[in-house]
Amino acid sequence: MILRGLWERRTLALVVLLIAVVPIASAAVAPIYSAAALTTIVRDVVREAPVDGRGWRYTTTNGGIERKVAAFTAGAGFVEPPVFGMETSSGGADQGDARAYSVVWQDGQCEHVRLVRGRCPSAALEVMASEASELKIGDVVRLRSLRAARPGATVLDPAELQVVGVYRPGPSGDPFWFGRTLFDPYGQPSQNKVDALFTARETRTVTYISGSPTEGSWTDYAILRIDPDRLAGTDLPLMAEMQTLAVTAGRDTDAIVFSRMADTLRTINANAETLGVPALLVAAQLVGLGWLLLFQTVGDLVRARGPEIALARLRGHGRVRVWRFALAEPMLLLLLAVPLGLAAGFGAASLMIGALLPASIPTTFPPMAVAAGLAATLGGVLAATASAWRIATRPITEEWRRTPRRSARGWVLDAVVLAVTALGLTELLAAGVIADASGESVSALAVPGLMALGVALLASRVLPVVSGWLFGLTRRRGGLGPFLALRQVARGPVTAGSVIVLGTAFGLATFAVAAWTATSDDYARVAAFHNGAPAAITVEPVEPDKLTAAVEAADPGGALAAPVIKMSGTPQLVVSDPERLARVAHWDPALAGGKDLAEAMAALPGPDVARVWLRGERLRLRLSHDHLTQDWETQIKAAFRVTGRVGPVPITIGKLRGAGSYEWNLPLPCRQVPCELRRIHGELSRITNSFEGGFIQVRVESMEVLRDGAWRQVPMPAWRVDQDPRRTDGSFALSDTGAQVLRPATYDQEPAGIVVGEVGARAMPGLDNAFTHRVRPAVIAAAAPGITGAGVLMDLEQADSIAYGVHEKAEFQVWTRQAGTAALEAALTREGLRVVSTVRQEDLAAGYAAEGPGLALMLLLVSALAAAVLALGRTVLALHTAARRRGYELAALEAAGAKVPALRVALLLEQAITVLAGTLAGLLAGLLAAEAALGRIPQFAEPVVTPPLPHEVAALPVALVTGGALAATLLCALLVSELLLRGIRVERLRDTPA
Amino acid sequence: MSMVRCDGVVQIYRAQDVEVVALRDVDLVIDRGETVALLGPSGAGKSTLLWLLAGLSRPSAGRLWLDGVEVGRLDQRALDRLRASKIGVVLQNPSRNLIGYLPAAQNVAFAQRAVRRDRRRVRDLLSRVGLDDAGDRPAGRMSGGEQQRLALAVALANSPRLLLADEPTSQLDPGAGRRVIDLIKESAEAEGTTAVVVTHDVAVSEALGRTVTIRDGRVGSEGRRGEDFVVVGREGAVQVPPEYHHLLPPGSMARIEPLEDGVVLRRAES
Repeated sequence: MILRGLWERRTLALVVLLIAVVPIASAAVAPIYSAAALTTIVRDVVREAPVDGRGWRYTTTNGGIERKVAAFTAGAGFVEPPVFGMETSSGGADQGDARAYSVVWQDGQCEHVRLVRGRCPSAALEVMASEASELKIGDVVRLRSLRAARPGATVLDPAELQVVGVYRPGPSGDPFWFGRTLFDPYGQPSQNKVDALFTARETRTVTYISGSPTEGSWTDYAILRIDPDRLAGTDLPLMAEMQTLAVTAGRDTDAIVFSRMADTLRTINANAETLGVPALLVAAQLVGLGWLLLFQTVGDLVRARGPEIALARLRGHGRVRVWRFALAEPMLLLLLAVPLGLAAGFGAASLMIGALLPASIPTTFPPMAVAAGLAATLGGVLAATASAWRIATRPITEEWRRTPRRSARGWVLDAVVLAVTALGLTELLAAGVIADASGESVSALAVPGLMALGVALLASRVLPVVSGWLFGLTRRRGGLGPFLALRQVARGPVTAGSVIVLGTAFGLATFAVAAWTATSDDYARVAAFHNGAPAAITVEPVEPDKLTAAVEAADPGGALAAPVIKMSGTPQLVVSDPERLARVAHWDPALAGGKDLAEAMAALPGPDVARVWLRGERLRLRLSHDHLTQDWETQIKAAFRVTGRVGPVPITIGKLRGAGSYEWNLPLPCRQVPCELRRIHGELSRITNSFEGGFIQVRVESMEVLRDGAWRQVPMPAWRVDQDPRRTDGSFALSDTGAQVLRPATYDQEPAGIVVGEVGARAMPGLDNAFTHRVRPAVIAAAAPGITGAGVLMDLEQADSIAYGVHEKAEFQVWTRQAGTAALEAALTREGLRVVSTVRQEDLAAGYAAEGPGLALMLLLVSALAAAVLALGRTVLALHTAARRRGYELAALEAAGAKVPALRVALLLEQAITVLAGTLAGLLAGLLAAEAALGRIPQFAEPVVTPPLPHEVAALPVALVTGGALAATLLCALLVSELLLRGIRVERLRDTPA
Repeated sequence: MSMVRCDGVVQIYRAQDVEVVALRDVDLVIDRGETVALLGPSGAGKSTLLWLLAGLSRPSAGRLWLDGVEVGRLDQRALDRLRASKIGVVLQNPSRNLIGYLPAAQNVAFAQRAVRRDRRRVRDLLSRVGLDDAGDRPAGRMSGGEQQRLALAVALANSPRLLLADEPTSQLDPGAGRRVIDLIKESAEAEGTTAVVVTHDVAVSEALGRTVTIRDGRVGSEGRRGEDFVVVGREGAVQVPPEYHHLLPPGSMARIEPLEDGVVLRRAES
């Protein structure tokens, strides 16, 4: 009977099924998509984390490493098979060998070093030494604490480790070593420590630590690396649990677990939170909208069964039986809609994930998706239950009345919605950016949906009143069509339902489109400023002048590319060639007091003073100085910028011994290529037990360079001492409390800079990360290219002159305004630069869009537009049903002489007024919600400090959506009116129920 | 014993903020097995009285007994039971009585659900109303006459003691209408069912044992064996039948002249 009934009402049943399926699907999409987005976030963060933030290094000295590691990684399918290893450290046992050695075995070690000579160790006591250790094949190394028993001996002697191979370390960032420093970073021989000696595992079986079998043992370790491709968002709790175990391992067991996973987890959690907030916002509002749609549509289905339900009651069926009878059809449909909706949600989410997320991200089906789907269905269940109960309990005779009694619409629900909206709005406006989805800010998060609903409710109240007022006017003029249309709208119930549904759905859709346009614009703006220029090519570090020269050679016109060096820190520092930067970088004069970039850049260059370039074998300084007491001795040193070295290269010129000449070899490269003298300074050392303070003033009288066997005079530059700006005569002071540094005066003491944010009196990091100089704000801007927080943009020449060298964390880039960078990259490569990567402004913006908030926003956009289409369909259906119910009235009007065109105008106008009111209410609500919520709901995983975000809503997409919606609704209204008109026959008056 | 007894029944309902008195001080007794035609102009209160007799609503005032049970004292469940087991109703529009997509037999069976299913009776009823071969045909595809007969079968599904029918012949041709009335009478004779039929059709009223005319919410007259009688109301009020209004127009003055067995009304000359 139920199935027959559904077939009888197949159109309505199909509509109900569709309307039930879509919210369930929409609600399910959010968790499915969120789970995939979380997986993306987790994988991306882990991939980008430093090596030791991508796993754990489990260390124990009590053995049983395999068992312990198995327990530690239980259930963690995302961890690669452990790489086991063992090690011990000791000083050399031979006379005069003061170096420290590490003897290491790590499974697979030979594949991660380059074997230069010999072979990999394969037997006990064989080792492989690094090239930098200067050990040769056949050498024997003895360590103090690594001992072995000789046949027949009663004591343990230092084990004899025989060098069988010489290796050269592989890349320093090789994750195999888990970020450890087993090798000298510069690959140079060290006086204190030797690069790791790699041995065979069997060495363990024949050696003892510290001379006694019971005294100590090898340290066992296992490197546990996370494989990002096997990682999913759901692994996050397990990762956190493992990290907690790792932290407590040292306290509770003998194990030590080293990792920087805590930082990685912090980043993941921050990203996950920013995904969680908007995703919750989207899911909650879609579920809410689904409820609204279902509430109305399922109610329609139950009401459509009104005559049958009345019959059941007439035949004496009990109330519960009648209720069950009334519920059967909608419940069956909802039951059917759940798997269909979940399947549709899974399909839609798969499409979205395929289109928006990296290809390797799997689509999973989290339990939350089922819960969200069921939550969306619950609206329909409640609607069916309420409607069925109402029909089962109202007087049966109502069903057969010619004019059903009107029931006034209560204010309670409206008041509750409006109160919650006001509460949420207040909370939202009072709070800053909402960054947690813990539930405290639920009403604030729901503001867009609530505002849409609130405005729609108000519109549904206002429209009948206004229509009633206009209806009064049409009594006198305007014709029959407007008269009938306005009278019908003023009556209210169908109109109100349609305005509420349309207003809410279009409100949410308008908000989604507005938020999408504003956020996309914000992404583009932030990407433009943070990238600095349309494309930023990162190159491997070189000397700043080489970078500049390469860019000049690659772009001789100076219009396309600019050399840039970025230093992180607080404040940040971005340095570049002002003239080139002015043609390349992104800039907004409105954020810089109206100054354009060229004007701002013109203020940056410092004094045009030549640097001190020296080429030759030796440097000779003629120094004069004060008398030095016998308690102190003074070393005079100098530092040079040398080709091929990013950092300064120091030389010690000599110990002061009275006025006269001092000389020392220049760094080797200075024989071929000029080196730049960066500083002359000294060190005062106490050599007696005297407590007398030390102080001496030294003055450089002249400089000479030995080149091609002859000493050549170097013109004396203008000098400066940063610690005492009055000294400009080449003198500087050394004392036991501090030493002055003499430098060529090639820069301003306070160089000009473009200052962004709260820099205050803080020193900028400088290229050497020394934080020695403050800048003089030439321009104060709210945003500047390449700067992501408080920072300074300054002249590269000035920054380079100030710094002693370039710190390893400096990032070398070439900015270009060309979208295609291939030619420039090739040219830079030809000039000797190694291109590491290229980031385009669009890539960066796409990256923001792939962060949590961006992903959630896309979800909101797609789902809200789908819901709006659904709401439109539902409204047209409701209007059609309502007008059909009035078929008798229309037939009577026709019979009474009303012309068909007048009836057409009446129907069309009635529907047009309703959909217009709903759409406009939605537009208003959406724009208001965007105004209130944008800027408070996170748009970025990391809060953006600069540039200021305007959250500008683009009018065109909003207008397109609204216009499209209006056009579609009016077209539907036209079609519905025409269909209804064709269905009106005067004969119908005969069989219309009394 | 009477099947229906109305004692001063008043029925008031609200329609758009206006109270409408549909029935006022209705006194009516219908004995078991009687067939009664309820007559009266549109809006007189016939359908309202029928709905009261069907237990679909309770009187606003007065008392109503159905098969000896006072309706006002029954709770909803008991009223549902009473309706299921003792009352069969045929609504005015035949299609309204039926679930259009169900076959004839299932429509009858649907009415039995509240009491007990009796497939044999379903078959008997369909046979009695001449629809033995229409058991599997959806009711919505039947002709008006067939639907009306099926509606009667549905109303008789539970062997009701009281059969109420509202205009059962209004949309039928005279032949089909006669057949329906015959069926009602047959049921009354065969099963002792009391039938109350609201009708405007003279043929129907003549075919039934008694007529009760409702005017302005009151029982205005009754007819038995071809003769019409006015009914003297509670306060001694008598409704002059419309056919005598030209002699004694509403609003005119009348003189009462007593006789041994009654009174005579004569128009008083102004």
